[in-house]
Amino acid sequence: MWRKAGPAARVAAGIALAVLFVLPLVWMITGSLRPTGLPPARTVEWWPSDPQLSNYAAIFDLLPMGRYIRNSLFVVVVAVPATLFTAALAGFGLSQLRQPWQSRLLIYTVVLLMIPAPAVWLFRYQILSWLGLLSSLWALILPAFAAGSPLLVLLFYWTFRRTPASFFEAARVEGADAWTTWRRIAMPMARPTTAAVIVLAFALFWNDFTNPVLYLYRPDTYTLPVGIQILKQVDSTNWPLLLAGATLITLPMVVLFLVLQRQFLHDDALSELLDRG
Amino acid sequence: MSIVTSPSTRATEPKRPPARGGLGRFLRSYDGQLRLFLLPFLLGTAILIVAPAVLTVGLAFTKYNSINPPTWVGLENFKNLLASPLARLSVRNSLLFLFMAVPLRLVGAVGIALLLSRPGRIFGPLRAGVYLPTIIPEGAYALIWLWILNPLYGPLNAALGSLGLPTPDWLIQPDTAQLSFVMMSLFTIGEGIIVALVGLRTIPGVLYEAARVDGAGRWQAFWRITLPVLTPWLLLLTFRDLVVVLQNTFTPSFVMTYGGPYYATTYAPLLLFELAFDMFDFGGAAAFMVIMYALTALLVVGIVNLVGLNQDADVA
Repeated sequence: MWRKAGPAARVAAGIALAVLFVLPLVWMITGSLRPTGLPPARTVEWWPSDPQLSNYAAIFDLLPMGRYIRNSLFVVVVAVPATLFTAALAGFGLSQLRQPWQSRLLIYTVVLLMIPAPAVWLFRYQILSWLGLLSSLWALILPAFAAGSPLLVLLFYWTFRRTPASFFEAARVEGADAWTTWRRIAMPMARPTTAAVIVLAFALFWNDFTNPVLYLYRPDTYTLPVGIQILKQVDSTNWPLLLAGATLITLPMVVLFLVLQRQFLHDDALSELLDRG
Repeated sequence: MSIVTSPSTRATEPKRPPARGGLGRFLRSYDGQLRLFLLPFLLGTAILIVAPAVLTVGLAFTKYNSINPPTWVGLENFKNLLASPLARLSVRNSLLFLFMAVPLRLVGAVGIALLLSRPGRIFGPLRAGVYLPTIIPEGAYALIWLWILNPLYGPLNAALGSLGLPTPDWLIQPDTAQLSFVMMSLFTIGEGIIVALVGLRTIPGVLYEAARVDGAGRWQAFWRITLPVLTPWLLLLTFRDLVVVLQNTFTPSFVMTYGGPYYATTYAPLLLFELAFDMFDFGGAAAFMVIMYALTALLVVGIVNLVGLNQDADVA
């Protein structure tokens, strides 16, 4: 490809873009460290003159944070492994299925992607109410047993489609069943996808705001994203406090992403496939 | 024909004595296990996604408050919605938002993917950087932007002011509030960037080599090779975005503006929520959902026609 075409300009443009995209996070963190009651800055403030962590402590005084954290942790600890398991199995099954069922189920999965979430709000409320799961954390976890999101199934499907069929055939000829083939051969080859799916599944459940708003109405079942919004009702103009709350729920997600992103966004993972053609 | 018993299952399995009848044999066979792998996903999505989405259509023709059994009212819900200024305004807001946000997000995702698809040690971290806003919890994301867009104290107006640029009231005026929502949506395009990156990977390098040998420039290579190969991916992305970007307005419109000012950010998901969970008019909410389905389907058909026509023109 055209390597010599202004690599410096490309890098500079890339850095400028990345800075722009990270800016909301930077402003969130610096805003959360501002002492409360300080007069507002008249220019852009990149770092508060007297940074404090007291806003974080104040949240724990104002809200039953222990309960929110426990609820959120319970949801992700159950839902993320369940999602990974069902999505990886379904993706493998889909990739090895014979025609015409493979095409049919592929179309089904893509159609699922196109169904807007609000389309299922009303009846899922009914189903959860019939199952007695309204205002239970299981209302949030339930989709994990259906692979969380069709996108995650497709990610695994694409990965296993790219794997040469001879790998799986060899195992089959030697008498391995599908379960063993999936566990011993397919999954170890799908590490970047597994990392990506863990990040996406964690985001799906840890970040979830809509489903708790719709299906949880007992405050003792609130998860962190909903709980944090109570700060807005307590003191809607206390920006450092609100931003500390935002930082608190964002941080675990960002840390997980930064730890795992190398697996699927790093050069080796991408360039290996780039060079294949 | 059922997924569970196809002739191929029996054909691949030699005559082994079945331990627990047909089921035991099925569970041991390779194809049987493959079907079993798909079962949780298929069953779960049928119950949690397909059935609710389909049954909502039926609900649209009833009066239903989620407590008393639904009663058939024919097209009354649709008539009420068409006569409701708020419903019409909400549809208008949603379409306006889609027309602004979806093309910008698409161009942004493809542009960034092209820029950052190159090998090189620096591009990995840069890809992570542009992806970051996508993984911020929506509840936190709404709070961050409430702060950024604050007309008096917010960092955005501070930055604009120090550059001598106008400092709008953002969420306080209807027009700028709608622009704010579009702006917020432009930072969360990580999924699109990844899909575009994956699409770019599928282009064989040989094509570019051939183009270079033929003396094609970079622009020609982009229009003749990159874009045509990417088109199916971009279509998938566009259709998905039509759905996703609108449903993602729910949290910011709920947290930041609650549909205001003057209903300017009352997008379809928020109105649906209000109809169903504030007013317990499940029938009306379902009818509104059906109208939004139909409009989205129209948009999809329109885009397919547009792209189809372009390709015909290209061939000719």
